[in-house]
Amino acid sequence: MAIVKFESVSRVYTSGDHELRALDRVSFTLDEGKFVVILGPSGAGKSTLLNLLGGLDSPTIGKITVAGTDISKLNDDELADYRASQVGFVFQFYNLIPTLTVYENVKLVAEISPKALDAKEMIERVGLLDHLNNFPAELSGGEQQRISIARALCKNPQILLCDEPTGALDSATGVMVLKLLLEMARNYGKTIVIVTHNQNIAKMADVVIRVKNGQIRAIEEQENPLAADEVEW
Amino acid sequence: MLIRKVLRTAWSYKAQFISMIIMSTLGIGVFLGFNMEWRTIEYDTGNFFADNNYADYRLYSESGFSKEDFAAIASIKGVDKASRFLAVNLDIKNEGKFQDKGKKSLSLDVSENYTVSTFTLMSGEKYDENGDGIWLSDKFAAANNILEGDSLTLAFQDSEISGRVVGLIKAAEHMICLADSNQLMPDYNIYGYAYISPAKLRAVLREKLLKTAEAELVKAGVPEEVARQKAGEMVGDQEIEQALNKVFAAINLRSSLPKASLEDAVKEKLGRTIMVVAKDEHVVYKEAMGEAKEGKTMGSVLPVLFLIIALLTMVTTMHRIATKEKTQIGILKALGFKNSTILLHYSFYGLFIGLLGAAFGAVLGLFVCKAVMSENGMMGTYFDMPDWTSAVPTFCYPLIGIAIFLMALISFLSVKFQLRGNAADALRPYIPKMHKTMLEGLPFFEKLNFATKWNVRDLLRHKSRFSMTLIGIVGCMVLLVGGLGMRDTMAGFLDLLDNDISHYVTKVNLVPNTGYEQAKDLIAALDGDYESLSGISIGGYTAVLDILSNEKNRISIVDEDNKPIALSDDGAYICLRLKDKASIGDYIEFSPYGGDETYRVKIVGYNRSVMTESLTMSAKLAESLGIKYNISSIYTMKSTAEIPQNELISGKQDKRQLMDSFLSFVSIIDGMVLILVIAAVILGIVVLYNLGIMSYIERSRELATLKVLGFRSQKIGSLLIMQNIWLTVIGVIIGLPAGVWVLNWLLNALAGEYELKLMLGWMTYTVSILLTFGVSLFVGWLVAGKNKKIDMVEALKAGE
Repeated sequence: MAIVKFESVSRVYTSGDHELRALDRVSFTLDEGKFVVILGPSGAGKSTLLNLLGGLDSPTIGKITVAGTDISKLNDDELADYRASQVGFVFQFYNLIPTLTVYENVKLVAEISPKALDAKEMIERVGLLDHLNNFPAELSGGEQQRISIARALCKNPQILLCDEPTGALDSATGVMVLKLLLEMARNYGKTIVIVTHNQNIAKMADVVIRVKNGQIRAIEEQENPLAADEVEW
Repeated sequence: MLIRKVLRTAWSYKAQFISMIIMSTLGIGVFLGFNMEWRTIEYDTGNFFADNNYADYRLYSESGFSKEDFAAIASIKGVDKASRFLAVNLDIKNEGKFQDKGKKSLSLDVSENYTVSTFTLMSGEKYDENGDGIWLSDKFAAANNILEGDSLTLAFQDSEISGRVVGLIKAAEHMICLADSNQLMPDYNIYGYAYISPAKLRAVLREKLLKTAEAELVKAGVPEEVARQKAGEMVGDQEIEQALNKVFAAINLRSSLPKASLEDAVKEKLGRTIMVVAKDEHVVYKEAMGEAKEGKTMGSVLPVLFLIIALLTMVTTMHRIATKEKTQIGILKALGFKNSTILLHYSFYGLFIGLLGAAFGAVLGLFVCKAVMSENGMMGTYFDMPDWTSAVPTFCYPLIGIAIFLMALISFLSVKFQLRGNAADALRPYIPKMHKTMLEGLPFFEKLNFATKWNVRDLLRHKSRFSMTLIGIVGCMVLLVGGLGMRDTMAGFLDLLDNDISHYVTKVNLVPNTGYEQAKDLIAALDGDYESLSGISIGGYTAVLDILSNEKNRISIVDEDNKPIALSDDGAYICLRLKDKASIGDYIEFSPYGGDETYRVKIVGYNRSVMTESLTMSAKLAESLGIKYNISSIYTMKSTAEIPQNELISGKQDKRQLMDSFLSFVSIIDGMVLILVIAAVILGIVVLYNLGIMSYIERSRELATLKVLGFRSQKIGSLLIMQNIWLTVIGVIIGLPAGVWVLNWLLNALAGEYELKLMLGWMTYTVSILLTFGVSLFVGWLVAGKNKKIDMVEALKAGE
């Protein structure tokens, strides 16, 4: 069943007389529970696509439907509610709140999400129960990204959006993070959308959407995706 | 190329740069303005005093000074110049231009040889010692529409003085033109001053003597046509000289002798004790120097507070800018720029801000000074001077230079801190230390909600920002409580004077030398209380002996707590300003001027004296001590219209008119309060906005993250405002007592001039708190509003 539907979505940035078409009439659908990789080189428009899907940005034209709601028509507060309940984010540079401890960073989302899961359980699932009272600055990059995943899942969202989640990590840690991400998503039945320029990660995906110059060049379904520890880069 | 970077970086931190320029402008401007104010008073009045040969000493004798007395005093070694002097308050007759104009009076002055206590001619004829005209105060002339050439008639004892106004003048003797010690502010509509020549005085006295002699002859049965001629033969130079000897009740002199030496020399020459009043005891000089002292006292608190806040704002802001610029500093270092070049580059910011702040501050300082000290400024109605040139205290120049240097130094040190280590170290972004504080270790902390924890940690980890914000709020609160409290205190003082001290309707002033026996019928007819004021020396210190009979409760004296005192007949009361002269239970010795007697009296209490430095006692006690006194005033419930003409009455003062004369004084206080309130609001807004924006920029990534996670803008805004509310609550808790303390300190420092009791109304507390909260919340709202426009994608990218 389709959970995401993009219909002729364009995003145009203007600066004076200059116009940049980041996305150009993009249309596709994503099914629930799938692991989707959006692949493309720098400047292809993949982050714009993710931002639109995450409700961080709005399309210039076109319609985006997520779980039956047209999010392109939501106002700021409705978009905030959408982000609080429907999507979880994992960023390349983690974006944890430096003044909150590990536990507080995860627990934080429970304040705004109506169906939040138990924060401690999430931290336990990512294997960092010993670091509950540490601040992010006291953790390694991989550990911070694991906390970021715990925070994203704690909201119990329908879709997990990941922007280059392994971009700042070494390959071993990257594999570990990807494995965790897949495992958690499968266990909790989430749809995962990863944006990356890394071809190898695409090998793990159920669906690969190739983007270039703001347009979708191909949508490929993979019947036998690789497991995380089979991927090398 | 680096210059372009200077400009672009300054532009990108424009809010911070503008704040720092405003703060340094405020700091330097307020500092300069307040210090220029007192220096201008000293400078302009000093020049005026010098130009008009303002007397260093005034010798008073109720029986007057003869030519021989004058010659003896002028011959004292160390007396440079001397002149017999007459200053007498005379009513203007309601004739000509003064028809139906009500009571107006002038102090008529004569400086016999015009070497001391002279005047400055503003327009008209030069002073002529043989002239027949009147030289009139230009302000009085303007207020009463009198022009040169107009005629004026003054009631002089039972005679009159008439003349044409030949010149308009300003005189240092009357620079603060007050009719008597009850008047606080000059009112040129009803009171001014004028000079006539000694020749004219002589002519007036001759005419008066002729008239008296003629009247006596006519009374004795001499025919009128003969009486005039006969009187002319009776009144010769000798009689006129005798009359002059009586009216010249003062000798004004210029001398650098110490007061005690002069007193001794005068006693030796004349063989009697004469009341010697030094210029610093004379109302004009004393008030002018009091104003300058008051300005110095004020100048040593508020401007210093502003200057310190300006420098602290600079420290906090430059440190934060340097921290944010760390990577750029690292890049410049990695590119091969020497540390000295980078330091010079960033020091320029501080220098630039300091120079701009000094330039704008000089303009602001001049504006503040002119707002107070100019002909149309707040002091314009108080001082009457020909020149209002603004003057700067010499120490201000190096201090401003030091302030500019400090600002450049702050930039220098902030960047030097970031340049430590090698280029790679400098390239690494600044990461604030993150470890648990003691507070976070307490059990209750875990139970706090996210917003509270977030804000507590933010404050604990940005202590300089936290402290500066607090200083800004406390400063704002201190200025508000101080300013509004000063007004409350003044209003309380007037209320005390109106309702607790003065219960009379009219104060009737009696002519000099009116003894009790002469006045008792009038006292009885007016059903009044009476008072005697005379000069005394307490161990060489000049004070006023206030003998009071207030059995009818027309006038009261109050204690330190403003509670009425029932006058005891067992001892005297010493005013708070003379507290150091004696303690309760001590005996004090004093000598009235004009005699050789010394009296000893027990002090039974302290009283709050409204105007003068005084020793107060009951009439009964004075009589039991054998003090001979004259009645100065009677306080009665009758209105001025109900009081019949009487030769003993020299003037009548309606209490309401007296209270109204305080209103212009209150308007000066209001003006200063307004300046303080505006300064408080600007200080609060600039400091809080600057720090709020810095804090917002520092936390923009966290705020964007919260927004991405699904926090609504309103919720994030409330997080930011919550911190402002906390700091405002703490600031108010500290600022309120601090404001009261500063005000109390100021009142104590000014106690030599006024005996004001600190009074603060609930309105002052309420307005100060509400205004401080208003400023804080307004700034919080402005900063929180920016959150709505935060670009989540850009903010998160910036972190990369």
